[in-house]
Amino acid sequence: MRRGSDTRLIHLGALLAAAAIALSFPSMAPSPYEITVGIAILNYAVLSTSWNFVGGFTGYISLGHGAFAGLGAYGTGLLVARAGLPPFAALFTAAALVALIAVPVGYAALRVRGASFVIVSIALVLILLLVFQSWASFTGGSRGLVVPRPFPGMLRAEHHRTFYFLFLALLAVTLSAWWVIDRSRFGMGLKAIREDEDKAQSLGIPTYSYKLVVFVVSAAFTALAGGLYALWFGDLDPVFQFSVLGGAYMVLMALLGGVRHLYGPLLGAVAVGYALEYAKVEYGDTPLHLVVAGLLLGVVVMFMPDGVIPAATALIGRFRRSGETSIREVTAAELRERREQPNRTEVKDGERSGT
Amino acid sequence: MPSASLVLQSVVLGVLLGGLYALLAAGLTLYFGVMRVVMIAHSAFLILAAYLAWYAHRETGVDPLLTLFVTVPLFFAAGVAMQRLLLTRLRPATLTMMSVLLTFSVALVIEGLLGYAFSGTQRRIRLGYSAAGFEFLGARVAVVKLIAFGLAALALLGLYVLMKRSRFGQALRATIQHREAAQLLGIDTDRIAGYGFGLGLATAAVGGTALALDTTIYPSLHWHWIGPLMAIIVVGGLGSVPGAAIAAMTLGMLQSLLQLELSTTWAQTVFYIALFATLAVRPQGFFGGRLAQRF
Amino acid sequence: MTRTHRLHGRIVVSTLALALTASACGSGPGSQDSSDDPIVIGVSLPLTGDFSEPGKGVERGYKAWAKIVNDEGGLLGRKVELKILDDQSNADRVVSDYEQLIGRDEVDLVFGPFSTRLVVPSARVAEEYGMLFVEPAGAAPEVFEQGFENLFYAAPAVADDHYNHLAEYILAMPESERPRTVAYAAMDDPFAQGTAYGLKEKLEKGGIRTVVDEVYPPNTTDFGNIAAKIADSGADMVVGGTQYQDGVNLIVALQQLDYQPKMAAFSTAPTEPEFAKAIGNKTEGILAPTGYTQKADHPSNKEFVEKYTEQFGKAPEEDEANAYTTGQVVAAAVEAAKCASQDPDCQGKLVEWLRGNTVQTVVGPLKWDGKGRPQSAHMIQQWVDGEIQIVLPEAQQEADPVYPKPKW
Repeated sequence: MRRGSDTRLIHLGALLAAAAIALSFPSMAPSPYEITVGIAILNYAVLSTSWNFVGGFTGYISLGHGAFAGLGAYGTGLLVARAGLPPFAALFTAAALVALIAVPVGYAALRVRGASFVIVSIALVLILLLVFQSWASFTGGSRGLVVPRPFPGMLRAEHHRTFYFLFLALLAVTLSAWWVIDRSRFGMGLKAIREDEDKAQSLGIPTYSYKLVVFVVSAAFTALAGGLYALWFGDLDPVFQFSVLGGAYMVLMALLGGVRHLYGPLLGAVAVGYALEYAKVEYGDTPLHLVVAGLLLGVVVMFMPDGVIPAATALIGRFRRSGETSIREVTAAELRERREQPNRTEVKDGERSGT
Repeated sequence: MPSASLVLQSVVLGVLLGGLYALLAAGLTLYFGVMRVVMIAHSAFLILAAYLAWYAHRETGVDPLLTLFVTVPLFFAAGVAMQRLLLTRLRPATLTMMSVLLTFSVALVIEGLLGYAFSGTQRRIRLGYSAAGFEFLGARVAVVKLIAFGLAALALLGLYVLMKRSRFGQALRATIQHREAAQLLGIDTDRIAGYGFGLGLATAAVGGTALALDTTIYPSLHWHWIGPLMAIIVVGGLGSVPGAAIAAMTLGMLQSLLQLELSTTWAQTVFYIALFATLAVRPQGFFGGRLAQRF
Repeated sequence: MTRTHRLHGRIVVSTLALALTASACGSGPGSQDSSDDPIVIGVSLPLTGDFSEPGKGVERGYKAWAKIVNDEGGLLGRKVELKILDDQSNADRVVSDYEQLIGRDEVDLVFGPFSTRLVVPSARVAEEYGMLFVEPAGAAPEVFEQGFENLFYAAPAVADDHYNHLAEYILAMPESERPRTVAYAAMDDPFAQGTAYGLKEKLEKGGIRTVVDEVYPPNTTDFGNIAAKIADSGADMVVGGTQYQDGVNLIVALQQLDYQPKMAAFSTAPTEPEFAKAIGNKTEGILAPTGYTQKADHPSNKEFVEKYTEQFGKAPEEDEANAYTTGQVVAAAVEAAKCASQDPDCQGKLVEWLRGNTVQTVVGPLKWDGKGRPQSAHMIQQWVDGEIQIVLPEAQQEADPVYPKPKW
C-alpha cells in the first residue's frame, strides 16, 4: 500500500507538472507561430483521443473519423454563417447534430464486423467529400466556406492564445470522459467486445447498443474538435475537411501511442504532430512525408500493433507490477487461435502485446 | 429529356467504363477471398502501373500496351511477396483490421514515391490515335476506350478460364470457399493464397495500363478509384468474383446514365448510396454466396 | 495501464514542449532593421501537390525578380532575399506558413501564394497582422469580397473579365453570323469557373442561349460523359473554364466524338507550351484569354524576357510573369514609401501608396479599385497557322481572328 500511495503522489505531481507546462506554454512561446503549432498538436490530440473511444474500447478501427471532424467543422461553420447562431452555440449544436447523424451510420457500419466496417468508414468520408463539393449553393463547394471570426476585433496573437486554451480545455474534457468510461461497467463491457465479441454477447452484454453508444460519443467529441478547429481556422475546404488521410493520422497517432492507454493517443499526437512540423521546417518541399507516414504506420502495424507504450513496457518490464489490471495482455482471441491452429501461429514473440 | 442518341452514347460509355471497374473489382475480390484482406493499396498499384506505362512510353516511345509484358509478371511477384512477407505476419485474430492499415500504409508509400519521382503534375500518354473514334450504331466509340475495354475483358476472361478450368483455379476456389477444408484435401493453402494475391495485383497491372491509355494520371488519383471499387465488392458480395463483375457493370452503367441528368460529382455518389443501401438491406451483398454472410 | 507509463508519457510531452519552445527561441532573427541587412520577403508556394506546376512557375518568376533587382543594386540599397516555404497545395499549411514567416521568421514583406483557394486564407493572415499582400494568382471574384484592405491582385484583370474582349467581339457580329448556342464546362474552381461564367453572363445578356452548363470537380479524369452532352447539344460554341490538364482532356474527348463547333474558347490550357503536342497538334482556331505575352512592348518586359531566358533557359509564361509583376508592384511601393519592414506605419504607407497610384509592369500599367481589383483587361489569343497569336483587342492584334473555327 505504501508503494501505491508513493506512486500516486508521483503520478499527481507529474500530472500537475504537465498541466503547468501546457498552461504556461503560450506565455513561453516567442511568437504566435509556436502557439499555432501547439494548437495543431492539441487538435490532433483531441481527435485521436476521440477516435480512441471506438478504437481503444471496442477494437473497431475506423478510418472514417475524418468525416465526423469535417461534419463538425462544416456544421459549425454553416450554423454560424448561414443560420446566424452565436459561434459556441453553433459548435455544440453541430456536435449534437453529428451525434444524431452518427446513429444511422453506426447502425449500418456496426451491423457488420471487420472488413465491411472499415469499408463503410472510408466510404463515409468519400461520399461526404462528394456531397460537400457538389452541393455548392449550400456548402460553398470547392470554393470553400469562410467561418466568421468568433471574437471579431481580437488581434491575431490573442486569437491564437484564446483558442489554445479552448483546445486544452476540450482535451481535458475528452480525456476525462475516456477515463470515466474506462472505469465504468460500460467500459468493461466494451473491452469485453474488444477481446471476444461473441463471448461478450453470450455473457449478456448488449454488444450492439454498447458499440453504437460509444460510436456516437466518439463521433460527438470528434465533431467538437472539428468545430473548434473551424472557429479557430476560419477557412473550410471539402478536400481538406473530408480526407481519408486525416482519419488515417488519427489512427496512426492512437496506435503509435497505444490504444489501450488513456494518454496513448495524446502521446502519439504529440510525437506525430511534432514530427510533421519538424519535417515541414526541415524537408518541406517533397512528398516524402507521405512515405514517412506510410512507413511509420506500416512499422507500427507490423511490429507494435499495441502501440509504443506496451512495446516500451516490454523493455522496462521489471518496473511493472502485476495484478493492476484485469485485462490480459494476450487477448482471448489470440489464446483461442493458438489453441485451435497450432500450425498457423506464425506470431512472433515481439509482436505479441508486450509479454 | 436527353435525346435517344445521347442515352445510347452514355450506355456505350457506361459499358466501356464498367469493364474496367469489373476487372479491378475482380482483383480486389481475390484478395478478400484468399486472405479476408481489404486491399486499400489496390488502386495505388493501379496508378503505379499506369505511371510505368506512361514513363516507358515517354522515355522509349514504345506502345504502352507492351509494358504489360513487364508489369504483369512484376506485379504478380510483388503480390506474392506482399502476401508472404507482410500479410501472413499479422496476427490472425486482428488480420482484417490490421491488414487494412497495412495496405493503407503501402498505398501512402506508393503515392509518396510517385509524387517524389514524377511530381504532382497530371500526366497523360500522347498517342497517335488518342483522338480517333468511329461510329457504332449511332454512338461514337473512342478507339483508346475500346482498347482499354478489350484489355479488361480479355483479362477477365483469362481469369475466368483460369479459375474454372485449371487445377490451380480449383485449388484457389477451394481455398476461397473453405480454407480449412481445402487444407484437409492436401491443398497448400498458403502457397495458393500467395498466388491468389499475385493474380489480384496482376489485374491492377492490366487495369493501370488500360487506364493510362485514355485518362490523366496523378499520384493521389488512387483515392478516386478505391471508393467505388470497395463499394462494388460489397454490393457484389464480398469474395464473389462474378458478383463483383455484375455489380461493376451495373454501377458503371448507372453512373454513366445518371450523368445525363446530374453533375459528374453527384453521379459518383451512386456507388456509396448502393453501398449503404446494401449494408442496410442485405449486408451479405446481392450476388455473394455463403462466404459473404460471415463478414 | 501502470502508473510508470503515464509518468513516462508526461516526461516526453514536456520535453518536447520545451524543445519546441527552445528551438523557436534560438532561431528567431533579431528584428533590428539596419541598412545592411537584406530585405527578407516571405512566400509560401505549392511546390508539391495539386498546384505544384503553376506553383513552381510562380517560384521561378519570384526568383527571376529577386535576381534582377539584386543585380541592379537591390531595393533602397538593400539586397532582397526570398524565403520560400512549401505549402503542399494545402490550405492549412499555407496559413501556418504565413504564421511562421510573419511571426517567427519576422520577414519584412510578404508575397502571395498561388491559386485562389490558397490566397483567401493566407490573405487573412497578412490582413490580421497588418501586412501588405500583393498576390499573383487569386483572380476569382470572392477574393475581393472578403473585405481585405491590404490585398492587391498583380495581373491585368480578375477572372470574370478575362473574356471581355471576346464577348464584345461576338456581340458585335451580325445576328445571322454569330453563334446562337453555347455549351459551358467549367472546373469547380473559383478561378476557372469565374472565367467561363464571366463570359456566360455577358453572352446571355446579349441573347445567346446556354444549352449545356456543366461543372466538374478538380480531380475529374474522364470527360467522356461531359463531352457527350456537349456534342449532343450541337452548340455553336464551346467554352471551357479550364486549368491545364482538364482542358486537354476535354478537348481530346470532344475530338473523339467528332464534335465541330464554330468557336471554341478555353482558359489557361491553350497558352501552355505543351498544349499543341498534348492534343495532337489539332489546335487551329482555339481561343484563350491571356494576361501576358512575351512580345508585349511594355518597358520592363524586354528586360524580363531576356534575363529570365538567360537564367532559366526558356521564355517566361503567364505564371512567371504574374509573379514577376507582384515583385514589381511591391518594389514600386517600397521605393515610394522608402521603407520595408513589418512596422505597421511602413506597411500602412505601402498600402496607401498602391491605392492611389499606377505601377508600370511587364503586363502593362496596373491600378486597382478599393478592393484590390486590377482595372485592365485580358487579351484574347487564338491558334492561327499553328501558332498562338493575339487576335483581340485590335490595338494589340498579331493576326485576324478566324471564324468559324476550322475542323479539329
